Amino acid sequence: MALNRKIAYIDLTTGDIETKPIPLEVRKKFLGGRGLDAYLLLNHTEKGCDPLGPGNALIISGGILTATCASATARTHVMAKSPLTNMLGSANMGGFFAPELAWAGFHHLVIKGKAEKPVYIWIHNGEIEIRDAGHLWGKTTTDTQWAIREELGDEDIKSAVIGPAGENLVTFANVMTGIKNSAGRTGMGCVMGSKNLKAVAARGSMDIEIAHPVEALEHNKHFINQITSAKVNQTQGALGTPFIWGATNSWGGVRTRNFQYNQCENADDIEPERIDEICEETMGPYHMTGCFGCQVHCRAQYKVPSGPFAGKYDEGPEYTSLGAFGGEPDCKNAETVFAGNHLVNQFGVDNLEIGSIISWAMELYELGILTNKDTDGLELRFGNDEALLEMVERICFRKGWLGDTLADGGLPAAEKIGKNSFDYLVQVKGMNNLHSDERGTPALALNIATASRGSDHLRSRPAIDLYHLPEKVLRKIYSSPIPYDGPLSSEHTAYEGKPWQVYWQENCYMAVDCLGICKYHTVFLGATLPNFEDWPKVIYYNTGLEMTPEEIWEVAERCNNIERLFNLREGLERDDLKKGDTLSHRYFDEPCRRGAPDIIGATIDREKFTKMIDEFYEHHNWDKNGVPTAETLERLGLDKEPSHLI
Amino acid sequence: MAIEKEQLSASESLRKTRTFGKVRCHNPSCMERIQPAPGANHAKCPTCGMEYRLFWVNSTLPRIRGPVWDVNRKIAQEKMARLEAAASKKNGKKGGK
Repeated sequence: MALNRKIAYIDLTTGDIETKPIPLEVRKKFLGGRGLDAYLLLNHTEKGCDPLGPGNALIISGGILTATCASATARTHVMAKSPLTNMLGSANMGGFFAPELAWAGFHHLVIKGKAEKPVYIWIHNGEIEIRDAGHLWGKTTTDTQWAIREELGDEDIKSAVIGPAGENLVTFANVMTGIKNSAGRTGMGCVMGSKNLKAVAARGSMDIEIAHPVEALEHNKHFINQITSAKVNQTQGALGTPFIWGATNSWGGVRTRNFQYNQCENADDIEPERIDEICEETMGPYHMTGCFGCQVHCRAQYKVPSGPFAGKYDEGPEYTSLGAFGGEPDCKNAETVFAGNHLVNQFGVDNLEIGSIISWAMELYELGILTNKDTDGLELRFGNDEALLEMVERICFRKGWLGDTLADGGLPAAEKIGKNSFDYLVQVKGMNNLHSDERGTPALALNIATASRGSDHLRSRPAIDLYHLPEKVLRKIYSSPIPYDGPLSSEHTAYEGKPWQVYWQENCYMAVDCLGICKYHTVFLGATLPNFEDWPKVIYYNTGLEMTPEEIWEVAERCNNIERLFNLREGLERDDLKKGDTLSHRYFDEPCRRGAPDIIGATIDREKFTKMIDEFYEHHNWDKNGVPTAETLERLGLDKEPSHLI
Repeated sequence: MAIEKEQLSASESLRKTRTFGKVRCHNPSCMERIQPAPGANHAKCPTCGMEYRLFWVNSTLPRIRGPVWDVNRKIAQEKMARLEAAASKKNGKKGGK
């Protein structure tokens, strides 16, 4: 069996380090990556633990396929209790870190305690060392990585680091690697900062045993063909992820001016084609690059074209930066998008959260809920590019009353600002929405309402719902590996059948996160991309583990239920506006005002939405309150959690 | 054992449904397939009249870059006006009762 990589438990308070193999029975139950991390989090934290206290566990991992011959196994997963939501914290990033960690001998790190002074962890061919990081504290994300390479004399070291935002305990700070790869939701960088942990550096040359190497390589050719022949990936390879924002803005599915509009009109300067032109102008025609083992190459390289950061090299901007520094604050200048993207990458902060929270503050300012006194004189209006970039810095360094307040996250900030500010905050479980607007798309609304880490598109979004696929195509996808003969609708404005699609996607994305591969290699944006039926061969050839599509589905189900158990333990209640599976009143009360004709006037129907939640729970075999039934837990082998298998 | 199956998976079998050289209208109730002339930078949906600006990823892969903003704005304003008039009529009736 090729599954010989280990797990390390590191206590930063005592300096104790313990390493263990990962038992096969644990692998079979949780595979690896996010699924196994969820099990570890539930088992290694106490109910109600302080997210910024030594009792919180910061878990960093790769998937079961990481560093094998399989394609796109670049993903690093980071999990802890979230300081932003006080519930499940989970974030995922591309790049090269997780494979390097695997070559250094480890697939999972469980980091607890708190160091007395800044430290970093150095992992090298099975050895783990805690080193002083006093000289790194205060450095940006990239400067930190280059300094570690210089100090240790190896330019191939890969590090997962925090920037100033993590040090300053901004509750939505990122863990980052490379130039722009970000584990950027739920504030995992803040947890790292709270432990005085500046970086985890890895370098390894240990063998990764491949169970059937000839077959693994041969099969990967087939897999690559399936990936690269998809139209969506050809588009990604040309324009990167900004194409998603552009396509969504075209029909009216993006948040603009916080949540007042659903389309950013006349946004030609920040359309993906324009972004691509600037990347080409500053970096030449071959400016697209990729993560470890990936052929899609969706990551653009650029130099900031003008303004105060002119000439600075960076990567992206991803579609999230187009939303954060373009659509949401209604700033339609490419220069602002490039500059904002550069700042969040350097400071190490979640572009989605910071863009959303600044846009919320802009709406509050325009409504008079925030005043010039609160902003220290800053004209925090929509379309004010300078104010937007100024607020990024104020939040990351907790400058001024408003910067410090917003750095705590939306829910605490709403309490501090008071009045009716909470009514304008568009969040689920304490995490702000990304830049999309789901009022015209019930399936997507259900997805963000029920996502385990708060409002999020990467947990269960049936994005292919927007393609108007024929019912027979939908049925082919959504009836495997588990038979389903209920309703399915090609209409993305419909409610029927959507709970099943969201449920199916939830399991699909969990499986992908356990394998450690990128979501652009599965049924996320493309209907013809690999899923459950395609994975058994990849797993078997690379690891020797024999699994059927149904067994992979069951692992995903089990891991989603583990995350559910964690959130329930930490206070999830179905209809709680701050901790539940529901949406801001704005989804139900404020109609869309722009976009394609049938989107205009759209709201989410409250009664139908409630019915969708009921059905979604039924598919899980959860009760009316969203609690897994005893039968479900027993079937999935979770009836004795926490079970402390590892 | 699943790994010994040689039949096509669902995703593999759906590859033949990929269409090149076309885009779908972005209007949800329409979603008509539009086949622009090769290299064209503009297309009008023959069914609903929406107009789009196009970009070609490669010679066989067009994509909608965005709507023609003036046309889009006009349609949006007309639709909102109709909705607001209908709502105000409805509210007026309620008030009369």
